[in-house]
Amino acid sequence: MLACSLAKEGAFSLPLSRIRIIRHEEIAEFTPKVCVQCSDASCITACPVGALSRNADTGAINLDRDACMGCRQCVTACPYGGVQFDPIRNIPLICDLCGGAPACVEACQLPQAIRYVQYASKEA
Amino acid sequence: MQTSYPGRWLIVDLSSETIHREYIPPKTLEQFLGGRGIGAKLLWNLVSADTDPLGEDNAFIIAPGVLSGTSAPCSGRTTLLAKSPATGHYLKSNIGGQLGIALKLAGVDGIVFTGKAKRPVYLAITPDQWQLNPADDLWGQGVRTTTNLLKKRHGADAEVVCIGPAGERLVQFAAVMTSYYNAAARGGIGAVMGSKNLKALVIDPRFGKLEIADPDGFTRAVKKARDLLYSDSIAQDLHKFGTARDVDLLNELRILPSYNFQKSHITGEMRRISGRAWPELGYLKSIVGCGGCIYSCHRFTRIDAGKYAGTYSGGPEYETVASFGSGCGILDPEPVFVANALCNDLGLDTISTGGVIQWAMESIQRGALTREDVDGLDLSFGNGDAVIEMVKKIGYREGFGDLLADGVARAAEQIGRDSEKWAVHARGLEQSRVEIRGAYAYALAFAVNPRGPDHLHSECLAEFGGTKEGIALIKRLTGDEKYAIPNTEDKRAEIVRWHEDIYAVSDALGLCAFTTTAAYSLQEELIAELLKTATGITLTGSSLMQTGKRILTLERCFNLRDGLCPEKEDKLPWRIMHESQPDLPGGGEPITPERLKRMLSEYYRLHGWDNQGMPKKATLDALDLAFTLPQLSAAYSKCSNSKENTDYN
Repeated sequence: MLACSLAKEGAFSLPLSRIRIIRHEEIAEFTPKVCVQCSDASCITACPVGALSRNADTGAINLDRDACMGCRQCVTACPYGGVQFDPIRNIPLICDLCGGAPACVEACQLPQAIRYVQYASKEA
Repeated sequence: MQTSYPGRWLIVDLSSETIHREYIPPKTLEQFLGGRGIGAKLLWNLVSADTDPLGEDNAFIIAPGVLSGTSAPCSGRTTLLAKSPATGHYLKSNIGGQLGIALKLAGVDGIVFTGKAKRPVYLAITPDQWQLNPADDLWGQGVRTTTNLLKKRHGADAEVVCIGPAGERLVQFAAVMTSYYNAAARGGIGAVMGSKNLKALVIDPRFGKLEIADPDGFTRAVKKARDLLYSDSIAQDLHKFGTARDVDLLNELRILPSYNFQKSHITGEMRRISGRAWPELGYLKSIVGCGGCIYSCHRFTRIDAGKYAGTYSGGPEYETVASFGSGCGILDPEPVFVANALCNDLGLDTISTGGVIQWAMESIQRGALTREDVDGLDLSFGNGDAVIEMVKKIGYREGFGDLLADGVARAAEQIGRDSEKWAVHARGLEQSRVEIRGAYAYALAFAVNPRGPDHLHSECLAEFGGTKEGIALIKRLTGDEKYAIPNTEDKRAEIVRWHEDIYAVSDALGLCAFTTTAAYSLQEELIAELLKTATGITLTGSSLMQTGKRILTLERCFNLRDGLCPEKEDKLPWRIMHESQPDLPGGGEPITPERLKRMLSEYYRLHGWDNQGMPKKATLDALDLAFTLPQLSAAYSKCSNSKENTDYN
């Protein structure tokens, strides 16, 4: 979360991270919520103004900030809870895989709980 | 410029229930950084030689590291400080979990508590808001229940720091706990909280934000640091098997303290108490890291079947296994897990709890105590159930546990009958469970540790020559890798000196000591780069080490002001100084007073201290510590006969 917020926002902040972790520390159970890059992305379908699109190179969801009107349809549409929302700027926070070099993967090399694997498009 | 460390402190006076914010001057921040450094400086100002550790006049300080809250690897550590109930002198105790991140993101760079609340209270912190709340309903609860109740009240993402029943009852080795299972264990820091009627803190960091001086430079430095740490020899093993991973190997090498240091190996099928065996035995349920950690060395264990079924907790760590396992002559891991879980919930230091029980066991063995004396329990070595019962008695100060709760030094004084000889402590702190009779840098480091004999002041793991990084370091420090062997006096002072500086720097920055003195990957220049890009504070690698030296010299001055004369106080437990350990390879001669004196004299010289271990005036001047001098004159006239120091008086 810290590596993510630094990479995307230039500062450390838990709510500005694209990752959420539901922590149940008493029994050491940690459930991460993050964009899993669905092949049929319900957030793209849900967006009424077409502000979300898939990046052809990385396969990640990209946000067109100018088009976005902050309706949060994408947040509710995501079945994985992978879309966060910044109420100050009124935009969703969706993982864009840092353009192909995700900061979170770099920070998680021992447990390898997050790995970056090649995107296979539907046509391929 | 935005920095990760503006020095925003909270000053909480519990007597008047008032809280105000104070800013530490930039010059002080630069000289002492954060964590243990700034904590030591504030503690110096707040207490005096006359301060009673359990009195209203003691201060209790919580100081996260400078880098805590950032993505610097393993940077989430916090130092707690006070005058120690166990030793009566300087105490710092370091804690992991999520506390450091939570405080920093909530905009708090440290907290000072003074006075004593009239009734039990807890401090609630959200960004830019803080208040003291009544804690009557929490008083008496264990750590798990307290944490759950506060999370229910303040949100699941709030971090809780608290004491258990042991801290409330002023057990001299009560711990402060956070994130359920992380402890600031040593020296009775939990009893200080208890003496102030301060049950807990709860910190909600969710809406805070922490900015740094140079995000791009910081990202590059962090990447460098991570790459080095990932490729370190210990990385994989530490992550997979935890700190208790080599208990079986240490036993094979005959350096595993057993039966209260009477032996250094334990006979019988003992592999089950080694962390390496827990995955296959089904005890290991999860691997857990502190906030900001990239190694994740903590365990989460549970017993699924048998008479202890349902016991679960964080850990146990190496020290806990050596304490309740081999130290108590126990080969079955399950009583060790149960004792560990109890200590975590009661809020007890596992090292000292195991230490006092081992002393009682040996007292029974030698006839200095009878079964009637210990409430009818069969405290023979190897009896797990008796150990478990005694842990509870200590936590609640019941029966014989009430005496043990005062620490092994006071217990031995009360019982007498030569039992001081197997009370393995110095200055009132139970020694950590490391066999130092064959590891001379460890022995020297234990003897000079201001809080008492343990490994958490300068862990000199490199002297064993166990990893290529450790051997390379020994070569850098001494000029020859042949000194990477533990049972020689040669070059030990040089080795300790480097380790104590880097350790102080790690503690000040909030870095886990495993990054600098177990994994030897993170060294001076790179740490300086992390510091600079995070805060804008520019120090070279060597001036950073000078800062480390400043911190630990101030800690020494603290004990000097209390009237501790180094020549008498730089010592080890009686057993270590007078009895050999024949189990050890090479015969395990004791660290005799003469041997220790030879190493100390070289150590003092390297520090710029006189031959009685008193810092010279020029040394204090060079470290900007001249402000200590007015309060040290009594110590100099009492302890020093050196001509060099006549100008102090």
